[in-house]
Order: sequence, then C-alpha cells, then structure tokens
Amino acid sequence: MANKALEVIEKQSKQYIVVMVGNEQYGIDISYIDNIVRMQKITRVPRIQPYFNGIINLRGEIVSVMSIRKKMGLEEDVFTHSSRIIILKIEEKGALGIIVDEVREVVNLSEDEIEKVSNKGRFINGIGTHGDELISLLEINAIVDEGQ
Amino acid sequence: MDVSQYLEIFIDETNEHLQNLSDCIMELEKDPENMDTINEIFRAAHSLKGMAGTMGFKRMQHLTHDMENVFQEVRSDKIRVNSAMIDLLFKCLDAIDGYLENVKESSEEGTEDNELIIKELNDFIATANGAPSASEQEQPASEGSAQSESASEASGEGYEKKYLNVSPNEAEAAKIMEAAESGKHVYGFTVYVEKECMLKAARAFLVFKAVEEFGQILLYNPVSADIEAEKFESDFSIFVATTEDCEKIIAAAKAVSEIEEVVGGEIKEEKEEEGKETAPAVQEETADAPAETPAAKPQSQSAAGKKQAVAKPVTNRTVRVDIEKLDALMNQVSELIIAKNSLVSISSGGSGDFQDQTFHEQIEYLERITTSLHESVMKVRMVPIESVVAKFPRMIRDLSRKLDKKMDLYMTGEDTELDRTVVDQIGDPLQHLLRNSADHGLEDNETRRAKGKPEVGSIFLNAFQEGNNVIIQVGDDGNGIDVDAVRAKAIERGVITEEQAESMSQKEIVNLLFLPSFSMAKKITDISGRGVGLDVVRSNIEALGGDVEVATELGEGTTFTVRLPLTLAIIQALMVEVRDEKYAIALNSISNIEDIPVRDIKYVEASEVIHLRGKVIPLIRLEEVVDIGPKEEQPEHLTVVIVQKGDNLAGIVVDRLMGQQEIVIKSLGKFINNNKIISGATILGDGEVALILDVNVLM
Repeated sequence: MANKALEVIEKQSKQYIVVMVGNEQYGIDISYIDNIVRMQKITRVPRIQPYFNGIINLRGEIVSVMSIRKKMGLEEDVFTHSSRIIILKIEEKGALGIIVDEVREVVNLSEDEIEKVSNKGRFINGIGTHGDELISLLEINAIVDEGQ
Repeated sequence: MDVSQYLEIFIDETNEHLQNLSDCIMELEKDPENMDTINEIFRAAHSLKGMAGTMGFKRMQHLTHDMENVFQEVRSDKIRVNSAMIDLLFKCLDAIDGYLENVKESSEEGTEDNELIIKELNDFIATANGAPSASEQEQPASEGSAQSESASEASGEGYEKKYLNVSPNEAEAAKIMEAAESGKHVYGFTVYVEKECMLKAARAFLVFKAVEEFGQILLYNPVSADIEAEKFESDFSIFVATTEDCEKIIAAAKAVSEIEEVVGGEIKEEKEEEGKETAPAVQEETADAPAETPAAKPQSQSAAGKKQAVAKPVTNRTVRVDIEKLDALMNQVSELIIAKNSLVSISSGGSGDFQDQTFHEQIEYLERITTSLHESVMKVRMVPIESVVAKFPRMIRDLSRKLDKKMDLYMTGEDTELDRTVVDQIGDPLQHLLRNSADHGLEDNETRRAKGKPEVGSIFLNAFQEGNNVIIQVGDDGNGIDVDAVRAKAIERGVITEEQAESMSQKEIVNLLFLPSFSMAKKITDISGRGVGLDVVRSNIEALGGDVEVATELGEGTTFTVRLPLTLAIIQALMVEVRDEKYAIALNSISNIEDIPVRDIKYVEASEVIHLRGKVIPLIRLEEVVDIGPKEEQPEHLTVVIVQKGDNLAGIVVDRLMGQQEIVIKSLGKFINNNKIISGATILGDGEVALILDVNVLM
C-alpha cells in the first residue's frame, strides 16, 4: 500500500532546480540536468551563433556553453561569484551548458501547482507556484532548438 | 542462450557470402565455363541457405534454396550461363540483401516473399531444362551416389563416431532409458566443426538449436558449459531423443555453416551393432548433400592427417573486436596523452623542483611510449578499403547496362588501409564519383568510336598512401569537363559574374562544380545529375578532414583526387597564439615558417601577398579570420606560417608560435553551428581549451 501511495506522488510531482536569470526565477526539470559547475574560463569560438559564449573543458570533454539570456533576447550576462553553468544532457545532441546567475534550491512541484501556459513565451511551458514564489518552467527543447 | 546473440555473426557472414557471390557472379559472366567459380557460388549459396534456415528466416532460406537449384543445373551442365541468368542472379542478391537489411533493423526478415524472383528462378530451370523438375532431382542424386563411395570412405577414416565412446552418467542414463521406454529413438551424434572456425561455441549452439527442432538433447560431451565456453577441440557429441529419422537430424545439423561433418546413429545396448547400422545412414547423408562433398573431401583428409601432424592450412590469426571497444581504447590513449602533456607543461614550467635531469629524461621516455602506443592503437583501427570498394565492380556493371555504355572498372590499391571510421564513411562519396564518371564522364559508344577511342570506356579507382594521407583517385578516360560550358553555366545561374569569370583560372572554374546545386547533366537521370552530387561529395569528404580536387583535360578524361587523413583522433600540431587565444594548426599542412618584415608585403588586387622564393603567397591574418581587431601598433616583423594544400600555398599571420604538440582532436559538439574554419578543439596540458584551425577552409 505504501508503495502505491509513493507511486502516485512520483507520477504527479516533478523536481525542479530553481535558478535566477536576471530578476526572474526559472525552474529546470531535474531530469535534464547532468551537473552544475562553477563559472570557469569559456573559450571563445569565432563565427558561431551569437547566443553561444564558447566552449569549456568539463573533465576532459568539450561542452558548448550558451547564454540563456542572449537566447531569450535579454541583456548581456554579468558574471559574479554566484554565476553557475548548468550542464544539461540532451538526448542525441549531448551535453550543453547554460549560464545562470544563481542556483537557489530544488523544489517539488505537483501537477496542481503548475499552471500550464500556452503562447506565454517560447521558452516557458508552465508557471509553478511554490509558497508565494512564482517559478517560470523552462521548456528545454525550445532552448536547444536552433530555429532562431 | 537465445539466437539473437548470434545475429551479428549471421549479419557479418551473410555480408561476406553476398560479397563473395557478387564477385563470383561477375567472374562467371566473364568466364561462364569456369567450374571452380560455379562450385564456389554453389557453396556460398548453400551456406547462405543453411544460415538463414538456422536463424529461422524462412523466406530468405526459400530464395537461396531456389538459387542453389539453378546452380545445381549449371554444375551438371544442364543450363548454360547467359546474361539473362546473370541479371536474375543479381536480382536475387539484391533481394537477399533486402532481407539482410530488414534483419539488421528489426531482427526480422520482413514479409517480402519475392515470389516473382522465385518464379523466375524456377521458370529458368524449367525452360532451360526443357523438362519438369523430376529430372532435376534425378541428376543430383546419381551424381551424389557416384561420389558417396569416396566420401563415406573419407568420413570413415576422418570422422570417428566418438559418441560411441561416451559413457553416460547415472542421471543421463536414466533419461536415455526413459526416452527409449516412451518409444522414442535415441541417437548419438558427433559433430565436427571446421578447424578455422572462429566461434565454435556459436556453431555448437546453432547445431543444438537445429537439433532441438526434432527432439530433446539428453547428453552433451563435453558438458554443455564447456561447449559454451569453447572448451573443446573441433568436435563434440550429443545424444538426442526423437521420433524423427536420424538422417533428417544430420542434414539439419550440417546445414549450419562451418560444420564440417556430422556422424550419428542409434544408441543401443550392444555397441557393435550400432556401428553397422549407422554406416548406411552416413552414406545416404552424403548423397543428400553433394554440395558438401567437394568441400568436405580435402578437409576430411586434413582431419584424418591431424594426428600425423600434417601441415594444416595457415589460418589467419585475427580477432574480431567491436569498434566501440576500440573507440574506448582510443579515448583512453587520448586521456593518457592529455595527462602526459600536462606533465610536460609542468616540467617545462621552470620551477626549481622539476629541473632534475632524470625527471626530464623520464618525461621524454614517457613521451616516446605514449607516441608509440598511440601509433599501435591507430594501426589496430586500420582496415583495408577493400570492404568498401569491393561492391563497385558490380555497380559499374549495372550502370553499364542501364546507360547502355560499354565500360570497365580498373582498381588498384584495394589493400590501402584507413581508419575504420573513415572507411565506413568513404563509400558514398566514392560511389558518387564513380557514378559521375560513368554517367557524365564517359561518352556513349558511338561517340567514342567516332573519336577513335576504344569503344569500351575505362573507369579507374587508384588508392595509395602518401605521407600522412591516403589518396584515392577516381577517374575516367571520357570527354573531360568542358570548362567553357561550366563557365557559361555559372554565369547563367548567377553563381559568378562575367568579370569574375574573366579573372578565374581553369582550375577555379572547374572547382565551381563542387558548389551546391550546380549540376552539369544535360538531362536529369536517376543515376546522377540532380545537382546534389559533387557538393555532397565534397562536404562528406571534408567532414572526414579530407579534401577533393579535380583535374580534367577536354577530350582525355577527368580525375578526382580525394585526400584523406590517416588518423582522425590524434595529430601533431603547431600551437600558435593571437593575442591571448590559442589555436592549433595541423603539422602536416604546414610547409615552413617565415619571419617577414612588414615592408615586404605587396598588394595584388588589394590583398596582401608576399613574394617568397619565386612564389606569390597570399597572406591570411588570423586575427581577421577569428574576428579579433587588428593590433594597435603594427610590429615590424610578422610571424607567418606557410601552409600548403595541394599546389596552393598561403601564409597565416600569427602573433606568436608556442611550439609543436601532440593534440587530441575533440568535436565541438552538435550545438554550435559549424563555422568550418574551426574543425575541433583540444585540451592543453594546463586544462585550457585551444581551437583547431582548418587551414583547408581558409585557402
């Protein structure tokens, strides 16, 4: 019985990592996240998409790093000591780093805490409420998508 | 155990047999009377049938069976080989290939019955024979019995009925008793696997599987665990309880490929009796399968001579290894080299602790080891291009028919070796080039005659190694490329302006053919000419780190030269710096390094050039290429790396040289849009990332 109850919870709620980009809180589905690393030297690669900062050495592997701000059309990144690179693992395409200003916490959001949005913006697929905080849930596929 | 684990072996072997068949059929077309070829085809078709049968691919088995029948007739001189038959046989091969593709994708053979082909095959036998299938069966039988005498003699000497010496333990004896009481026959079999067979355990399993269709296996000798672990010489014995005939089981077991011989008979209380009973069975069984006799005879002799230590045929001492394992090994070697590089960078860092002489010596020693280790791993990954080019003669034959042009393909250097990954991907581009030669290159028969050329056109494919590169030339003795026509077309299509056309060299014009959507075909055919040819060829080859050039002489022919790097993963590179950014340039594309005073720079059409030892060399400023602004103050001397691509030279202006290094090439990943000038990245000894410049693109 206990197992069954647990299953129900698992089905209905998902874990999100809450990050800051600018003054907005974003939630990233934890199943996409491979790793979170501190800001490190990003090697510039000439003549690539403007929203890519370059590449980093992640324990011997080369990983591309994207500025999520530039991708979403926001202002330039300002790197601080709390800036982090979140390494996403994307099926088929491999690992991708995105730069966030701060990593806050991990939250559990159940389905009824998420308000589905459509046409709210290309990069958001829902808004979660956690306490009195609002968390914009990132649509990873839109971020990875090259259709810009 | 389940059969799926043998799927890979099945796929590999079917591919080999198909290639072999294709080669032989080509051979047969040239020399229809060659009995050796005919026998070889028969054997290959027979093996295919057996393999398909054991894997449960019934449709494939059916098709190969009928194909085998046709050859039966050919062997017995009832059918003459003609071109309609060759065409039909190739159709069969394509159909089998179709099954194989299905198997590769879904582990199923698919639902295509290929009834049409099977019908054609049977019609062929019927019409060529002029008689119904009754005589067809008569013939092999009589032929078989003629041979059976010698064969049974051979099997009597070479293949002991070892199962007679097997003594069952109590539990097994009980099972045998039980089976006998329930009215089943208990047969004993000794199966001989070919000595050259690589995967004896797999064969054994296939035999078990075939036998289990008829009944239950009661006893294994050696025990089944040992058989699975390949702990047996070349033979093993089994006891089977069944209601079927002994011969049926023998035939099923022998249908498994690389099984040399199967002997068997009923197990009874008195062993003497068994010997007598089984003798006729063996005879009949050889008569059933005359296909095996020519093959089995020499082998049986060698088996008989085994104990007298007669020289065995030299077997190829090779191991099949999954390419993924090699990739993993290569990655580890790469890691090792990165670690070594960081040691080197620490030791040359100059801090007092590391100035010890022996330390330096050990570092050098380590460098030598890692370099030779890398070379060894590279060599392991090298395979001859033969596997790719072997299918081309067939392709050219088909094209010759389709286009109604006479042509021959001449190939040299099939044994040239390349990295496995390159070989896997070079097939399509080469195929494109050959099709191009056949379709556009060669003139039709009348034109050739009118020009006084030999009517049969020549297409050639030459491969050879040159330094760190492998060169593959594909060409023809056709009409060559009409440069003026290309120029006119380019202007018409708006690819270049007339002024540009004026100043372009012949070579530059010809190279326009590699641009996307530039097809010279006057009429669009399904062979080539959709404008997706040469640009795809070029981008495929460039993706492999190679390049392609074309040389042509109007009226004489065209040659495409494909240049490919021997290795992909680790290269020697020169490290250079522009401001604080580090770039690597592959050492094999560098011709020399020059220190040029700024005042020596000349201008040609507003571009910077230098005049060096009689050659005019265009300058490329790396800072511009990588979008860094120019330096605030111009130095008096420039460091110029002269790079070479074919006959072209260019000078790359850099800020500083950092020295030579062995670097591991890493991909930039799939997110960053490939800007072409950067072919990858590498991790330096201090963990920093440097970009690898593709100078071929810069030039």
